[in-house]
Amino acid sequence: MFANYIKDLNIKKLKDIFIMKRREFLKFGTAGVASSMLGSLGLLTWVPRAHAITINKTYYITDGFVAQVDGQDVYFRGFSNSSGALNVPAEPIIAQQGDTLNITVVNTLGTTHSFVIDGVVDSGNIAGGASKTLSFTVNNAGSYLFYDKLNAPYNRLSGLHGGFAVMPSGSSNELYDGSATFVQQYFWVTNDVDPVWHDAIRVGDTPTTPFTPRYFTINGRNMRVPGHPEYTNVDRDSGYATDTRLVGSVGDRTLIRIQNVGLCRHSVHFHANHVEWLAVNGAPRSQVWKKDTLNLPNNKGSLDVIYPFESPPDAWPPVNTGHFPMHFHDEMTQTAGGGFYQFGLATTIEFK
Amino acid sequence: MFKLKELVQMRNRGGSTTSSGGGMGGGGGGMGGGCYTYPDAPATIGRVTPDVSFNRGIYMNGSMQMDDGNSVRVWGFTDGGGGMGGMGGQFPSPAIRVTEGQIVHTNLTVNGMMWLHTIHHHGIEPSTENDGVGHYSFDVDGTYTYQWKAAHAGTYFYHCHTNTVLHAEMGMYGALIIDPPEGAGTLFAGGPSYDVEAIWACDEFDSSWHNLNWDAGTCGEDVGLNTLNPDYFIITGVDGAQSAATNPAVAVTMSQQQTLLVRYINAGYLAQRIDFGGLDVEIHMSDGRALPQPETVTEIQSVSAERYDCIIKPNSSGVYTITIEYLDWVTDEVIGTAQTRITVT
Ligand SMILES: [Cu+2]
Ligand SMILES: [Cu+2]
Repeated sequence: MFANYIKDLNIKKLKDIFIMKRREFLKFGTAGVASSMLGSLGLLTWVPRAHAITINKTYYITDGFVAQVDGQDVYFRGFSNSSGALNVPAEPIIAQQGDTLNITVVNTLGTTHSFVIDGVVDSGNIAGGASKTLSFTVNNAGSYLFYDKLNAPYNRLSGLHGGFAVMPSGSSNELYDGSATFVQQYFWVTNDVDPVWHDAIRVGDTPTTPFTPRYFTINGRNMRVPGHPEYTNVDRDSGYATDTRLVGSVGDRTLIRIQNVGLCRHSVHFHANHVEWLAVNGAPRSQVWKKDTLNLPNNKGSLDVIYPFESPPDAWPPVNTGHFPMHFHDEMTQTAGGGFYQFGLATTIEFK
Repeated sequence: MFKLKELVQMRNRGGSTTSSGGGMGGGGGGMGGGCYTYPDAPATIGRVTPDVSFNRGIYMNGSMQMDDGNSVRVWGFTDGGGGMGGMGGQFPSPAIRVTEGQIVHTNLTVNGMMWLHTIHHHGIEPSTENDGVGHYSFDVDGTYTYQWKAAHAGTYFYHCHTNTVLHAEMGMYGALIIDPPEGAGTLFAGGPSYDVEAIWACDEFDSSWHNLNWDAGTCGEDVGLNTLNPDYFIITGVDGAQSAATNPAVAVTMSQQQTLLVRYINAGYLAQRIDFGGLDVEIHMSDGRALPQPETVTEIQSVSAERYDCIIKPNSSGVYTITIEYLDWVTDEVIGTAQTRITVT
């Protein structure tokens, strides 16, 4: 019964969308979208197990350019699923308390990188062209980030990051033992992108200009709206991408593990329901507050919340269906390239 | 990549039924089409006779006098259905105050030939059509009746959700209070009562944004809306440099025997830290929901659009200086402050 999970973990094609070889330096544009690759990416699936297992996973450190909605190409690096892909963020991993992980990191670039989960594992330097396998056991349930901590914060900001979750042992529906329960879960990894910094990182310089983010991403993408050619494109539109868009029927309580790799503190605003605020920066809150707007710390700050998918309480007449946004409320994040309101960090909540 | 020219042709797409509005070309203080706008004013689904209704129009030519002598342009909602942009209006916009359980109509009238706007009742959770988010429903062109039911007592605010980054910054917001069935004087059913009430909506202005057109940036132009460099720090429409310390719309005078409720709203975009000058503050609610257990604090940190309902029972007389610090979104450094006072006699 556990083999299926492992198989799933290994073969799931997660966002192999920004496909390019470093040497070829292909640029990702709308025409390059391989939408079939994204169809397999859903919300994170999880089946509880009675016993700990070993999870094997290989990440390839790759790089390339991603075209932004205003036409600007921005340089990124990622922990990718193959040497020919660029995954920003990386495919997340869900483990269970007691599991052993064998993570192999293949550095296809010429620069030195690392793979770190704070308090859990630190690869040390992985030189350009080198590989390293890390074996470690996970003991504490909760939400984590893996990232490259070298050349901080630049390597992390450039895209070398991904979500890592540890489920309580034997549990399919809790963040930690005894927490409020859920029926489905998502990772939202958020970032603030300054293309000038990314270009400095590309050529090996330390950025010297003040940090001025121009793009704001959730799982590497931003929002598109009706009338735009990329609207509904699951590879490009964070409102439709299956790893960001919250989809549920009334009662489908949904855990969202929000990890902010960016440099900016943000305000997270949910429409249609208040969320239950379970944890901040990995620490369970002693009192669970119901909030429509939450303080998301920067620099690897995190929030764990449950979106309850209750009938929107203030609707008259009552409704059980609809489409609503989740967006950051420090509204500068709702722009791209200094304008383009609605093309920023947001996604859609669908009551189906 | 598509070109700007193509983008401009997309204006007014996406709305479901309308053919009017927008498309007036650029220039001037108000005219302009905007891109990715969805002008419409459909009939309200399931419309019923409301328990209470509010009429809101638009003004785009307001100004706020600052303590340094400058005046900064503001936009907002008028009380009444007019608002062709000619008469200015109050900032913040007039409050909406209702009682828990009521069915509310917010009637918004917008001249779509001039500009587009919506009302989003922040923290209120109605149907998609009544949520006031342009690209999920429509930007109001004509008159639309937002219908919603006030399910939970508490502190909210309403604001425009068209080109929100600019319109909310320009001042298009007002307080929204839901009283419990007991009425004003009680925070929520079974919650604390209060004798004196203050609404502190703390905001910051980047005055360099305040000369832009309503549709600035919507077609993809770089108009700098990714960077906020505020130069004014405001409490409920009053300059926090000096005026808010004594302006009776903000500053509180109370006796030692009284209980004060401060409805604190982060109406800006930056994180804020509000220091209560040594007073103990009991937080009873946030975002329109009672806390499982009240918490006693001396300062609160917040981010954009959070609300905290604070009960203060001073146990000694004196003048308490309340300081709101506005924090840089990268460094958390204080980049501006606003101050007011609580005078306890
Ligand atoms: Cu507006
Ligand atoms: Cu809001």
